[in-house]
Amino acid sequence: MFILNPQSGIPIYRQLLEQVRRMVASGQLAPGAELPSVRELALKHAVNPMTVSKAYSLLEAEGLLERNRGRPMTVASRVRNTSQLSRRIEQIQPLVEQTVLAAKQLELSETELVKTVRKNWEDEDE
Amino acid sequence: MSDPAVQASHLGKAFGTRQVLDDLSFEVAPGDVIGVLGKNGAGKTTLLELMLGFTPPTAGTVSVFGQASQQLSAGNKARVGFVPQQDELIDQLSVADQLKVIASFYPHWDGEFIDRLCGEWGVNPAARIKSLSVGERQKLSILLAFGHRPELLVLDEPVASLDPMARRQFLEQLVEASMDGNSSVIFSSHIVSDIERLANRIWILKDARLAWQGDLDSLKECVVRLHIRGGAETLEAMAISGELSRRRDGDFMTVVVRDFTPAMQADLRGRHGVDVEVESLGLEEIFLELHR
Repeated sequence: MFILNPQSGIPIYRQLLEQVRRMVASGQLAPGAELPSVRELALKHAVNPMTVSKAYSLLEAEGLLERNRGRPMTVASRVRNTSQLSRRIEQIQPLVEQTVLAAKQLELSETELVKTVRKNWEDEDE
Repeated sequence: MSDPAVQASHLGKAFGTRQVLDDLSFEVAPGDVIGVLGKNGAGKTTLLELMLGFTPPTAGTVSVFGQASQQLSAGNKARVGFVPQQDELIDQLSVADQLKVIASFYPHWDGEFIDRLCGEWGVNPAARIKSLSVGERQKLSILLAFGHRPELLVLDEPVASLDPMARRQFLEQLVEASMDGNSSVIFSSHIVSDIERLANRIWILKDARLAWQGDLDSLKECVVRLHIRGGAETLEAMAISGELSRRRDGDFMTVVVRDFTPAMQADLRGRHGVDVEVESLGLEEIFLELHR
């Protein structure tokens, strides 16, 4: 379900955070969907259980996951709408930064970059 | 908060005039999995032996379960499991007899658990120890340290001779052992990727001291490589705090720093008008960078 790479410079808990956030935002993980248990995930990837519970706790604090007594954690039934847009923008921010940097290195103008983005956007819509 | 499993204060060890360890202070909390890294001869084995009371410190103190390591009671010893770098198996015995000898020391020996692991790990109880391969000897040493379900597991290079499958099985057992959050594990290894999976805390021994002790997560967040683009003279004159190494080629420079924060990136951009990209590093690269 998740792709964890322990050798990456990105800490494992952050990899997990980002993947869950993305899956919830995209609807791949629907409200009420069950997450694998800490034990299951730790054993499957041979990683420290504390790392997994750290990610789950942070996601719970964000309101994205809900803890249920004696049952697996689930995706929160109501993801708070007010914070949704800013959260989604925050998520895409690093990718935008990279793209802008690359565009500058390639000496593209802002207009050219925006045009390219728009073209891709429309192609995706078709 | 529960009491630390291990506690050291200004711990030091010298062999004659050679200072192997100098002024180490640390705590191991229940639930911690600590990965110990260091070059050959950095003092990893000496550190583990000091903790276990096999050798006296020449400075400072170290205690296990609140009791000085050198005076550990039988009861507290039974809460510790140790896998030495050089196994201490008895060549003349069979695997089953060796297990019996060790089991007899411990009232809480979990024979069923060990029988199951023997099966899963492919350790044949009928085999003579003399006839075992290096890897099989290592598996057996690990089983001997697991059987009494210790609250503190100390492992000195436990996986050096294991194949990738056996290493994974061993790691899974460590995950199981740390699942309850009460047991602590300390293991030294040159297989950095194993430490990267399992450890929540890292100790890096260098020049007889702990060059780093802290969370693996913060280590990865703090030690990063910056790729900086700007005027050659600007780059040359740039002072960067916590710099470990720098390489400049014309108007492009890479710098490894040891205490990065996101604010630092903005600050460098703002003050020097340069482009800064951040590359996070795996543990092996961090280890190499800290030794430059």
